Amino acid sequence: MKKTVGLISILLLFFSCEKDDFCTQNPVTPNLILRFYDSTNRNTIKKVDNLYVWAEGKDSLFVNASLDSLYIPLNTAALETVYYFSKDNTINQFTISYSTTNEYVSRSCGYKVIFNEVSFTSNNSWINDFEPNIPITIENQNKAHVQIFH
Amino acid sequence: MYKFFISIALFFVFVIGYSQEIDATKNKEIIKDSMVYKTAYGLRLGMDISKPILAAANDSYNSGIEIVVDYRLSKRFFLATEIGFEEHTSKEYYTNSTAKGNYIRLGFNFNAYENWLDMNNEIFVGYRYGFSKFKQTLNSFSSNISDTYFSTTTFTPNTTSDLNAHWSELMVGFKVETLKNIFVSFSASYKILMSVKEPTNFKTLYAPGFNRIFESKTGFGFNYTIAYTIPFVKK
Repeated sequence: MKKTVGLISILLLFFSCEKDDFCTQNPVTPNLILRFYDSTNRNTIKKVDNLYVWAEGKDSLFVNASLDSLYIPLNTAALETVYYFSKDNTINQFTISYSTTNEYVSRSCGYKVIFNEVSFTSNNSWINDFEPNIPITIENQNKAHVQIFH
Repeated sequence: MYKFFISIALFFVFVIGYSQEIDATKNKEIIKDSMVYKTAYGLRLGMDISKPILAAANDSYNSGIEIVVDYRLSKRFFLATEIGFEEHTSKEYYTNSTAKGNYIRLGFNFNAYENWLDMNNEIFVGYRYGFSKFKQTLNSFSSNISDTYFSTTTFTPNTTSDLNAHWSELMVGFKVETLKNIFVSFSASYKILMSVKEPTNFKTLYAPGFNRIFESKTGFGFNYTIAYTIPFVKK
């Protein structure tokens, strides 16, 4: 009888949950992080007041916000995402172009999207300038990807 | 899913009861028994009947068959092998993949059970080396995107053939002779993956014969078999 109990407990050990049942990485696919700086004193972070953000044909992501940085998702099903940033009723169009690749992460996390050759264009209404001007790769959210000067 | 495994395991548990145990300290005068009880030596052939049950009950387990063979070498040692085929679909949050292929496990069993008279039951421990050759098809996947602001797309199937896995496994189990030469056996095994070939930009999530591959490169399995011994000699 003792042996049977022992065997059952060994069996139960086998059926416990494993760490790859849960995806602890969040987010898996990176968002685009923007940070706002002062256009004259370019090392100083400057808040944007009365900010509205939406993508073309979508609802607003930010409504009347006051922020010095924000993150926005990119459309993985397309090769570009067009965003509109509105400050004090002035709309600035900001377009992000890229190509995508899917990279396998793990059983529970699945595939993440990596954005390659990411380039930006802006019609510079209230935004004076932005960096970087060369194409970049976005594969994580460790730091801001774009500096916006206004 | 696990609940199902646990309940099926409990269902197949045998309880071995003892009565009239001999107290060795009281019987100082041990009479040497001159009678020798002979047991059959031969080839034991059987089938794992848990696989068809699993295939019917579990929609992730598409199909499976396993033939078990062992050959008695000495009083306690058995040469043992299992040969089988399995097809299993791993349904994860973001991926859906099917592994399909053949496997062989080869090793030995050691019977640790002291039988009464001419009884022929076993409580055994065993070691197996396992090898499987299979292919894995990524049926579909969707990228892991945390927000739903934009819609996601799912992708088309992609098969990687010529995958293989090698592993070692330790097992414990018991065999009961229910009718003459007919054995019912239940065993559980703990498996350690030695090597596995992974598809590019994906992972081998299931290997036939090995079962689900966990992050720690380990796995578990169980067998419920019915086998028949073809007796060659009685020793």
